[in-house]
Amino acid sequence: MDLNFTTEELAFRAEIRQWVAANLPADISHKVHNALRLNKDDLQRWAKILGKQGWHGWAWPKQFGGPGWNAVQRHLFEEECALAGAPRVVPFGPVMVAPVIMAFGSPEQQQRHLPGIMSGEVWWSQGYSEPGSGSDLASVKCKAERRGDKYIVNGQKTWTTLGQYGDWIFCLVRTDSSGKPQTGISFLLIDMKSPGVTVRPIIMLDGEHEVNEVFFDNVEVPAENLVGEENKGWTYAKYLLAHERTNIADVNRGKRELERLKRIAKAEGVYEDARFRDQIALLEVDIVALEMMVLRVLSAEKAGRQSLDVAGLLKIRGSEIQQRYSELMMLAAGPYALPFIQEAMEAGWQGDQALSSLWPRGSTHCAPLASHYFNYRKTTIYGGSNEVQRNIVAQTVLG
Amino acid sequence: MDFDFTEDQESLRDAVRRFVDKDYGFEHRRATVRAGGFSQANWEGLAGLGLMGLAVPEAHGGMGFGAIDAMVVMEELGRGIVLEPYAQAALIAPAVLQHAGAEVQAAWLPRIAAGEVLVVLAHQERSARYRLDQMATLAEGQVLTGAKSLVPAGAHADAFIVPARTAAGIALYLVERGAAGVGTRPYLLQDGSAAAELSLDKAPATLLVPAPQGLAVLELAADIGIAAQAAEAVGAMDKLVAITAEYLNTRKQFGVAISSFQALRHRMADVKMQLELARSMSYYASLKLGEPAEARRRALSQAKLQLCQSTRYVGQQCTQLHGGIGVTDEYISSHYFKRLTAMEMQWGDSLHHLGEVSARMQDQAGVFA
Repeated sequence: MDLNFTTEELAFRAEIRQWVAANLPADISHKVHNALRLNKDDLQRWAKILGKQGWHGWAWPKQFGGPGWNAVQRHLFEEECALAGAPRVVPFGPVMVAPVIMAFGSPEQQQRHLPGIMSGEVWWSQGYSEPGSGSDLASVKCKAERRGDKYIVNGQKTWTTLGQYGDWIFCLVRTDSSGKPQTGISFLLIDMKSPGVTVRPIIMLDGEHEVNEVFFDNVEVPAENLVGEENKGWTYAKYLLAHERTNIADVNRGKRELERLKRIAKAEGVYEDARFRDQIALLEVDIVALEMMVLRVLSAEKAGRQSLDVAGLLKIRGSEIQQRYSELMMLAAGPYALPFIQEAMEAGWQGDQALSSLWPRGSTHCAPLASHYFNYRKTTIYGGSNEVQRNIVAQTVLG
Repeated sequence: MDFDFTEDQESLRDAVRRFVDKDYGFEHRRATVRAGGFSQANWEGLAGLGLMGLAVPEAHGGMGFGAIDAMVVMEELGRGIVLEPYAQAALIAPAVLQHAGAEVQAAWLPRIAAGEVLVVLAHQERSARYRLDQMATLAEGQVLTGAKSLVPAGAHADAFIVPARTAAGIALYLVERGAAGVGTRPYLLQDGSAAAELSLDKAPATLLVPAPQGLAVLELAADIGIAAQAAEAVGAMDKLVAITAEYLNTRKQFGVAISSFQALRHRMADVKMQLELARSMSYYASLKLGEPAEARRRALSQAKLQLCQSTRYVGQQCTQLHGGIGVTDEYISSHYFKRLTAMEMQWGDSLHHLGEVSARMQDQAGVFA
């Protein structure tokens, strides 16, 4: 047992750190470090910078144009990006659909889609959830009927994160209703510019347009866009969900946000207040313990073992920690977290001239904190609610 | 970075587990508690495995093993809620004695390794609570006067490591139980283990570590105690969770096994979370023991804070999940609960270590910060 990274791993980390420092645009990292609004251009600019280096698909094997890094190298890359203030890579293309295309897609699908995902040129969205199918994903109803060399898709997807920018969407669709819900699902790739696709925004409680509803009205999809076999989509979906385990804990971002929490607490004069400071100390221990759990999973993966039963705990703990730091940041600002000024989410906003007589002096950095607190309630709901995660964990203990 | 155990460590684990399974059953443990919480036969059994020399350098007849080997042993002893103070005698005492002069080392370390003597740390005082730098016991020349509390197996120990105040600060001494002016008054602790009050009235003592360095070595001893106890707690919780899972799968109410109720399943998931957080921080504690003092103290306080939270949650919830049987003396789970509860109040409770973590916070945090 050894906590230290090897010399090679440390050299790898240094190389990544240097590269990120040289290539991450300062205006983007400024936004990330201050939790300001990232627009499509910010996200795609960073995706393309990574893509040019062949790192947008940083977890990809060499065979498909990825760097072929092991679990520890991937972790170090993610950590260096997070600590430097890089935006989270939008996962739907490189992290979610790409591994499915690699494992189950045809050579034609691989050649057609993987290069655009790696380069960051093509924006993918996820078409999993539907109204009425929350954590019970197998209940999807969006229907795809085979007609000749086409599927005709009718139905609705929802909670489609950043779907307003999407070029393509991967969908779980119902191709058979006769058997068990899991057995009639297929995995379909759909061009979002196809006639009959409509994207409608859902405005969240923080006023942000982050997610969408996507409607399919007699959308024609070439049959060649079916991944793998018809009615085997559930297997591919589970493969996809199992693929992202340590990443979802997002412990690296947690470390960065803990630093930010301390900065905010200092600015607001509560860092020296023992009662408040102790709450930060408790969170600090939570983050160290989570990081140790992540490292245990990585170490098992590096040794070729996937089944470590703590992996299921990472989503629960990681999301609880994300909520906790957003909560403490808001509480640090106290009453100055309350004014609701959406413009304050933009970089460079210092209190608009027209608002300056209304805006409390010296509190511009407090403006986004409550919005983030509200926004982060999603973390224990999405990706399989934490209650569903507890069912899975209980299964490992009780059978 | 690697969290695997070596083959030797797995063999060590198997050997201790076999001993615990075979010679340390529940009824045997109860008999030991009735007899005062310490059994010479149990002690000799542990010594028979060669475990007493684990942390003693090879030059003094020991095995010179490291923190991870100790962690493996402690997990297994925790699994059997073994009463005898192994960590005190075989991990803490040798670590402190290695800071003493060559003559003292040669006189004591080989006998510790051979299992011939039991040496324990006697640092707790009534007014100090969890602070290591607070004590009334006074050293004047080579004699000590004062009183120490909660000394593990105090009436059975051959000698005590005693911190005492001098004009230059805190020094560490060795006091033999049979020496003039030494008195012990034994009692049981809530978890069934043996402890004693130790009184010192101008008791002759051997200097181990002079002032002011004594405090730094005492802090190291406490951190070794925390790491060992973290592993012991993980073993105890692991076993208690298994006992509870089996109970939930066996016990029927309303015609079905109670493990089918989601309220109980979710509670069990939360228990599993606390267990794995504790295991992660137990690894962290043992892996950080070799760091420079400031980083080590911060890490060990972080670990102990997690352990305190986990032991309390797992102990309380596993008791609750058992229902009525969980609050009886005849059933095994209550004995795990009591041991886990006692652990929180040894080496600093959650509030104490929260204060430590809070005071030692830096701008950056994390496993490698």
